[in-house]
Amino acid sequence: MASGDQNVADVLIIGGGASGGVVAKHLTDAGVRVVCLEQGDHVDPSEFAGDKPEWELVSKKRWHPNPNRRDIETDYPTDVRDSDVEPMMYCGVGGSTLLYTAMWMRFLPSDFRVKTLDGVADDWPITYEDLVPYYNILDEELGLAGLAGDPAYPPGQRMIMPPHPIGKVGMKAVKGMDQLGWHWWPGSNTIPTEPYRGRNECVRYGTCSTGCPQRAKSSFDQTHWTFAIKNGAKLITRARVKEITVNDSGLATGAVYIDRNGRERRQKANVVIMCASSIGTPRILLMSESGKFPNGLGNNSSGLLGKNLMMHPFSAVAAYSEEPLESWLGPAGHTIYSLQFYETDKSRGFVRGAKWGITPVAGPFSLRGGQDNDPIINAWDDGIHSVFDQTVGKVFEWGVIAEDLPEEHNRVTLSDELTDSDGLPAPKINYKTSENTRKLLDWHIERVIEAIEASGCTGYTVSNPVRECGWHLSGTARMGTDPERSVVNEFGVSHDVENLLVCDGSVFVTCSGLHPTATITASALRSVDNLLQNRYNQRVPL
Amino acid sequence: MSQITPALRKAFRNLADIMIPGTDTMPRGSDVTLHEDVLDRIMELRPDLEEGFVRGMTAIAGMSAAEGKEHLKQNDKTAYYDIGLIAASGYYMDPRVREAIGYPGQVSNPKKPAPVPEYIANGMLKRVIDRGSIYRPTPDTD
Repeated sequence: MASGDQNVADVLIIGGGASGGVVAKHLTDAGVRVVCLEQGDHVDPSEFAGDKPEWELVSKKRWHPNPNRRDIETDYPTDVRDSDVEPMMYCGVGGSTLLYTAMWMRFLPSDFRVKTLDGVADDWPITYEDLVPYYNILDEELGLAGLAGDPAYPPGQRMIMPPHPIGKVGMKAVKGMDQLGWHWWPGSNTIPTEPYRGRNECVRYGTCSTGCPQRAKSSFDQTHWTFAIKNGAKLITRARVKEITVNDSGLATGAVYIDRNGRERRQKANVVIMCASSIGTPRILLMSESGKFPNGLGNNSSGLLGKNLMMHPFSAVAAYSEEPLESWLGPAGHTIYSLQFYETDKSRGFVRGAKWGITPVAGPFSLRGGQDNDPIINAWDDGIHSVFDQTVGKVFEWGVIAEDLPEEHNRVTLSDELTDSDGLPAPKINYKTSENTRKLLDWHIERVIEAIEASGCTGYTVSNPVRECGWHLSGTARMGTDPERSVVNEFGVSHDVENLLVCDGSVFVTCSGLHPTATITASALRSVDNLLQNRYNQRVPL
Repeated sequence: MSQITPALRKAFRNLADIMIPGTDTMPRGSDVTLHEDVLDRIMELRPDLEEGFVRGMTAIAGMSAAEGKEHLKQNDKTAYYDIGLIAASGYYMDPRVREAIGYPGQVSNPKKPAPVPEYIANGMLKRVIDRGSIYRPTPDTD
C-alpha cells in the first residue's frame, strides 16, 4: 500500500483520539507513512485546571465533557432534540481520553456471544480470545494498574503495576459488598502508580475526568501520539474533514478538509482509516455521499451506517457517610468495581447486566448532577452550609453502566438545523432508552441501594438515569461477516470500499456493560495487524 | 468592557449574603469579598457568566435581596444559576472557607500502594475469590 508519491499518505487516519493513536503508532512502528487529520488541538497538561482553586468553576465550561456546553469552535455540536442521552466527547489530540477516567476493563467472553447465550441482538464475528493478545499489548503500553485474579474474568490477565489504594471510600463500599456476599474487586485503571513511559506517577488530584494536570493518566496523546509522532507520523490539527473522496473504481482516495484558516484542502491516501468515534465516523461517511454511494460512503450493502447507536445509559447513587472519607482523593477512576449482576438472569425480567463502579466525589460541586448544576441551586434552598457539611469529603458514588442493546432506530444522521463552526451539518442523535434498559437500571439501582445501606451509610440520592452520560459511544458501523447485516468485516474493512477501514467503537456489534476503550483499541490493533499482514496485497487507488 | 457597575456589585453583595448567610463557624458571602475581587476573578475565568449576571442583577434592582432571589428563581433560571454559580464558586474557592469545611482542595497527595492492602490482610478479598468464578466462558459454537 506504499506510494512513491510523497504527497500521498500510505494511510490517512481521520481522528486523533484513542484508536487513531493506536493505529498511528503501530503503523509507523512498521514503517508505514501516516497522516492524521484531527479537528481539535493539542492540549498541554498545564492547561487543565485540576491543580488550581478554580477547578470546578472552569470545569463546568471549558472542560465539560459535553461539547454543547463547552461550545468551542474545534468541537462540533450535537443535535440532541430527540435523544434521551447526550453524547460526551472531546475533539483534540487524544480525543475523549483527555477527559476520561481511564477505568480500564476488558469485555467479558459473554459480551461477544449475546445472541448465542441470551437470544438477543447479534454475536460478534470475533471472540474474547481473539482479542486477548491485543488486550495484553495495550495493558503494557498504557501501564495498567490493578490486581490480577478477579474471578469475574477468565484467568491470565497480567497487571503491569499494583492497584491504587482504595482509600476510605473504597473500604466503606467494600463493607457493604462483603456483608451481602457480593462480588467486588479493586479497580483497574491505566493511571500509573509509578512513573511509566514518559508519564508521571499519579498524585491523586482526583480530577481525571476534566484532564490530568500531572501528565499521569493514559490519555492517548501521551501514551501513543507522542511515539507515533517520533516515528514520523504527520498529525495535522484543526483539520476538519468534510468528505472522504472516492474514484471511479469505488476506492477511497483521501479526504477533503477545512484547515485552521478556513481553506479547503485535500489529502491523498492509499488507505483511509476512520477513527472519529461512533458519532464522528458516521457523520463524515454520511457527508461523503456521492453518485456511487448515494446513502453515505460504505453504506450500499447494509444501509446500517449510523444505525444501532449504543450509548451506555448510566445511573448513579451518591452515598453519604457520617464519618469523613477524604473523598476528594483521586484517582477518579473506579476505586472498586462489581460484576455481581453482570451476566444475564432472566428471572430479573430483563436480559444482560451492568458493571458497577465506585468513584470518589471530589469537590463541593462534584456530586452527580454537578454537571447539570442542580446541587448548587438545591443547596441554597436546603441551607447551603448544612448541605455541604453533610457532603464534602463524605460522599462516594456507585455508578451503574447499563448494557443497551442495538436498535436500528437509535441512530446518527445529519442535522438539518445545526452546523459546526465551518457550516458542516452537526450529527443528529436519535436515541430512546429501551424497556429492557429501563428495567435493568431500575433493578440495579435497587440492589445498589441495598449495598449502600449494608455499608452503613446514612443516606443517598439517586440519579436514574443521568442524561449527560453518553461517554461510551458505539455500534454505528458494526462489524460482521454478512454485508447485508454489517458495515465492515471483522477487521474493520468496509464491505463496500476495500481500502476504507473503521477502527473506532463504531464497529461494536453489542456494547457490553463495561468501559469500551480497551476493546475499541484492541480491536483497532487487530485491524492494524491484519492490514500489515496483507499490506502487499492491499488494493489501492494511486 | 465590563457592564458590572458599582450598583450591581452592591446588589450582588446583598444577594450573596442571602444565598450564603454566615454562621458561628462559616463566614457569609460578603465576608470573603465575593462582590469585589472575587467577582472580577470569576469573570476572568468564566466570561460567559457575565451576561446572565448583569441581566439578572439588573432585573432585580430596587428589590430586597430576598425578593430578588425569589424573582430570579421564578422568572430567569439561567441568570439564577449563573449568579448562584458565581457566588458559590467564589465562596468555596476561598481558603478560609475550605479550611472551615475541612476541604483541602484538589492537591497533590501521592501515596504508594501498600505491599499488602488492608482488604487482603483482613481476608475480605479472599472471600470474593473463594466464592469462585462468575463469568460465562465463550460457548462452543462449532
